[in-house]
Amino acid sequence: MPERRNPRKITGLHIGLALLLFIVAIAVIGPSVSPYEMDATSLEQRLAAPSAMHWLGTDEFGRDVLSRMLNGARSSLVMGFGATLFSVLVGVPLGLAAGYFKGYTDDVIMRVIDVMISIPPVILGLLILSFTPPSLWKTTLAVGLVYVPIMVRLTRSVTLEVCGEEYVQSARARAEYNGYILFSEILPNAWPAIIVESALRVTFAILLGAALSFLGLGVQPPASDWGLMIAEARPFIASAPWIACAPGIALCLTVMAINLIGDGLRERLDPRLNRSRA
Amino acid sequence: MLEYVIKRLCYVVATLLVMSVLIFLITQIMPGNIAHLILGDFASPADIATLEAQLGLNDPWYVQYLRWAGAMLHGDMGMSLSMNQPVSEIIWGAVGRSALLAGISIVLVAVFGIWLGVYAGVRHGSKSDHTISMVTYVNIAIPEFFWAIVVIMLFAGYLRILPATGYASLDEGVWNWLRHLILPVFTLVTGLIAHVSRLTRSSVIDVMNTQYIRAARARGLSEKRVIREHALRNALLPAITVLAIDIGVLMGGVVVAETIFSYPGLGRTLIYAIQHMDLPLLQASMMVVTFVYAMANLSADLLYAFLNPKIRYGRGRDA
Amino acid sequence: MTASLLSVRNLCIDFVTGQTASQALRNISFDIEPGRALGLVGESGSGKSTLALAALGLLDKEARIREGSVTFRGADLYAMTEDGRRALRGDKISIVFQDPFTSLNPSLRVGRQIAEPLLVHRGFTPQQADAECIRLLEEVGIHDPRKMMRSYPHQLSGGMKQRALIAAALACDPELLILDEPTTALDVTVEAQILELLRQLRATRNLSMLFISHNLGVIARVCDDVCVLYAGEVLEQGPTHRVLVDPRHPYTKGLLASLPQLGGRRHRLVPIPGRLPHPSARPAGCVFSDRCAFAQGERCAQPQSMAAQESGHDSRCWRSLELAGQGWRAATAEQVPPAPRPARTQALPMVTVQGLERTFEVGGWRNPLARLLRGRDADAAELSRVKAVDGVSLSVGAGEVVGLVGESGCGKTTLGRCLINLVHPSAGQIRIDGKDLVTADARARRAILKDAQMVFQNPDSSLNPRKTVREILARPMQLFGLADSASELDRQVLELLDTVRLGAHYADRYPHQMSGGEKQRIGIARALATRPRFIVCDEAVSALDVSVQASILNLLADLRDQLGVAYLFISHDLAVVSHIADRICVMHKGRIVEEGATETLIAHPRHPYTQKLLSSVSSIEKHAGHAAPMPA
Repeated sequence: MPERRNPRKITGLHIGLALLLFIVAIAVIGPSVSPYEMDATSLEQRLAAPSAMHWLGTDEFGRDVLSRMLNGARSSLVMGFGATLFSVLVGVPLGLAAGYFKGYTDDVIMRVIDVMISIPPVILGLLILSFTPPSLWKTTLAVGLVYVPIMVRLTRSVTLEVCGEEYVQSARARAEYNGYILFSEILPNAWPAIIVESALRVTFAILLGAALSFLGLGVQPPASDWGLMIAEARPFIASAPWIACAPGIALCLTVMAINLIGDGLRERLDPRLNRSRA
Repeated sequence: MLEYVIKRLCYVVATLLVMSVLIFLITQIMPGNIAHLILGDFASPADIATLEAQLGLNDPWYVQYLRWAGAMLHGDMGMSLSMNQPVSEIIWGAVGRSALLAGISIVLVAVFGIWLGVYAGVRHGSKSDHTISMVTYVNIAIPEFFWAIVVIMLFAGYLRILPATGYASLDEGVWNWLRHLILPVFTLVTGLIAHVSRLTRSSVIDVMNTQYIRAARARGLSEKRVIREHALRNALLPAITVLAIDIGVLMGGVVVAETIFSYPGLGRTLIYAIQHMDLPLLQASMMVVTFVYAMANLSADLLYAFLNPKIRYGRGRDA
Repeated sequence: MTASLLSVRNLCIDFVTGQTASQALRNISFDIEPGRALGLVGESGSGKSTLALAALGLLDKEARIREGSVTFRGADLYAMTEDGRRALRGDKISIVFQDPFTSLNPSLRVGRQIAEPLLVHRGFTPQQADAECIRLLEEVGIHDPRKMMRSYPHQLSGGMKQRALIAAALACDPELLILDEPTTALDVTVEAQILELLRQLRATRNLSMLFISHNLGVIARVCDDVCVLYAGEVLEQGPTHRVLVDPRHPYTKGLLASLPQLGGRRHRLVPIPGRLPHPSARPAGCVFSDRCAFAQGERCAQPQSMAAQESGHDSRCWRSLELAGQGWRAATAEQVPPAPRPARTQALPMVTVQGLERTFEVGGWRNPLARLLRGRDADAAELSRVKAVDGVSLSVGAGEVVGLVGESGCGKTTLGRCLINLVHPSAGQIRIDGKDLVTADARARRAILKDAQMVFQNPDSSLNPRKTVREILARPMQLFGLADSASELDRQVLELLDTVRLGAHYADRYPHQMSGGEKQRIGIARALATRPRFIVCDEAVSALDVSVQASILNLLADLRDQLGVAYLFISHDLAVVSHIADRICVMHKGRIVEEGATETLIAHPRHPYTQKLLSSVSSIEKHAGHAAPMPA
């Protein structure tokens, strides 16, 4: 069967990866190359428009917006990837167990998940964060917890699909150990769908995290999270729009980059993946 | 069908029960108890102890829970600590206003999202499809609070044609009331319309490639009739599922939008309660939000079951 | 000469995806006269479905007509507007697609879908259309037309759906009916009923048919003329009884030689070597030349034209007249003389099954709610329990091949799975080599299963796509501790590949790099890895093309002879089973209704169900009149 490789061309995946790499680079080295300290205040330079000294202007405390932006990348990315990682670490094993063992295990897990899914994400986040002083890690954990049900459902449905394949049944007919079947037969074939979904979850996690920070339940001042920056910029929208625009655009670009990666991965990893899932 | 309805109702009840327990447990975990919050920082320990006994705070938690739940079911939601008003009064008005905002939004999302998705899906591969795809792609990346700020800046700050806050009561005139709603609703619906339209579009594309659509064409139906009578029904079912999920997202958006536009709805009440540690208000608000969401989900599930013949009619005896 | 109804001349269709174009059909020419049925025979990938759609004017976006014409009643279908074609579709030319399960819109009532052609083409009112539909449904043999009109597709069986689709196709009294594998997805008894229905309809309505199928027996039964399609070209065409009894093209000869015959002498099948060429890699000259046993000299490397044989019988091969009467000669590589069958030394049977039962509860432990709702309705309680296997007893001797036949839902698959631990029986006993499987604990069960393995049906699903052949074959041996070192493992893997006639270079391939036949061989090798003495073949050849099927059946037969393995060969295809099995068990609704030696059972069936099953099978011998020639 001849296999044809498409001639190398720049795909969305490449663009997305490049953009994301750039943003990660900012997150990592940003704080060291930022021209000012992120919380260095300056009373004379308040609400200054973008200029040669401050490329993105200053906010109401005279802090350099660019520096705060460079520092803020870190918390958005940590929230996005950290929360998704958490939901994968908790959700995938549960989904595998539910899909593979079926029966009571499946029913119990799915009932709990059904109840969790009946709670709107922001509300669940609020619930978890309302009784403990929020911080970056707590918010990340809360967002991760919010997305556990979706990862469980997805993993379970992929596991059920793979379990129906004859090679899994062949393994069962050999009285294979459960561990072998789960990790050597099922998981390698379930990973593509899980990875694609995780990529999209990262975008939701970033946006949810930013929303929570915006509401004051995420990163606390004087930290420079993008959502928090937008919240702080609210009173000055008319007079100093750049304070809000910069982090807003940064958030959009980050989310779009990850969306591109997710879509590109979906095309690459498995053309049979159900495209109706967004 | 009846079996399905009963099952769903059981889930709703279970969800509300679990949520009520979780919400109640906040009081047990939060630092500082209610008596302390009521009497303030300068109260004497003796006074606090008396109030505690009065409020029944020394009873085991499940007794307190049952007391609280029982009162809730009777409509007695306690007294707000920060506003010195019965909680039920505060919430009743707020729910109405939030429901208005959410209701208008979900209708707009359903109508425009689905229409746009069908329009693009039917013209799959054409220029208009590509344009719509790109626009929605960018749109889903924009958080609502950012949209809110942009439109406030533009329409309220720059052009000054719309107000920056979201609420004017009906007494001041219907047009004025509507004007105030435009910006909040806009920020709520843009992202969701993009999301719903993308999913509807791929659902339409999937349906148009099925064998039964080909069979319908083979019977001589025009493309218009094929789409209208065959494709739409099947493409809309997944759209309903998506709308149900998006109601949850919408509720989150409502919280954000009410905060930005100072709209006196349930979301803003919730945030206020958290910031002021107003426990009775917080608990009641969360319960009401959960209840509304559960009802919305239930309705969506029932609508889906009604429209899907496989669930509605089950397996006949000729299977 | 009557003017033909449908006339196809030199039709060439390409599939264009992006920048590349591949040829789907080349130089297709045939005629269908009014009242005649033309059969189109071909294996998967031969282009038959594309041709069906072309005749309807309903090609996909990617298909382009490069040259040629399709004329209906003298009018060129592709010279007219889409509106013109649409007026013909459903009115004068109708089609019945292959899979009734996907051809009906699941969200609309069946009645509404059947009535559509009437509403569109005849301008009927809904009431008039309903009345006409009821009449049509009665004509196609539906007992309760009104109920069916109100039903949704998921409430009907496959056979009923297909009848409804035939009714819809006939609604406007078309002149030409195209049928694309209409009975392939149906059970054989249902198939016989549908074919009989089609015969009646042809007679009463003077209907012309274009009947597409890969099943030569069905074609022999239904069609007056036949075209044999291979890799997008017509290789032979003519009256059915001539083409199937006196084939002139090597491909047709090869096809006939690779078909197992029901009740015929159990001679060795002769498969066609090689595989279907990829559309982009077709041989330059004769499209069949790379697999032909009669290929000779440079003339085969040139494009062939149709050579007339006798009246109306043409063959696209320059050696046709020369080779008339000669059967398909097997390539020397396949000429392995069958080893003498080892005498059965063991007195005890390899596998015994007694009183096996397997009941399924529909709905699981949540059922009490359903029962509560429906009250004490006894019928409802019964519906929720399905007895897939209802008291089955059978035995398989060492080295014996027992065939298990039945239609869908009879429980044969469940029975097979009970024997290898995939399904736990509700009652009964299973003994493999004397050891009880049902009551064994996990460790003992693993030891027993070393001797009992399964070959699965679907080559696309039976191998883990992320593992190499080496890994797939090595694992069973590792699990059962059959090799002590990596090099020993390797050696055994290569030995297994050799047993299934695959070269050592297959060891590092991934499943997607292999064809269906090759994958099935790996599946067999995997089953053999633990040196079992009993293998359950669950529809092991059903998903394969006819020519590939033959080579796998030969392989299975050879393995039985060389290794003395016993098989339980499960299939719905009686011809295949009768070819390989020593004894046959017929299963119906969870019970074995008849059992006996193959020749006896086929020749003198005693149970009414067996008789019905046998009489429903369409075979060339039965319908084309003479026995197919023996291979030379």
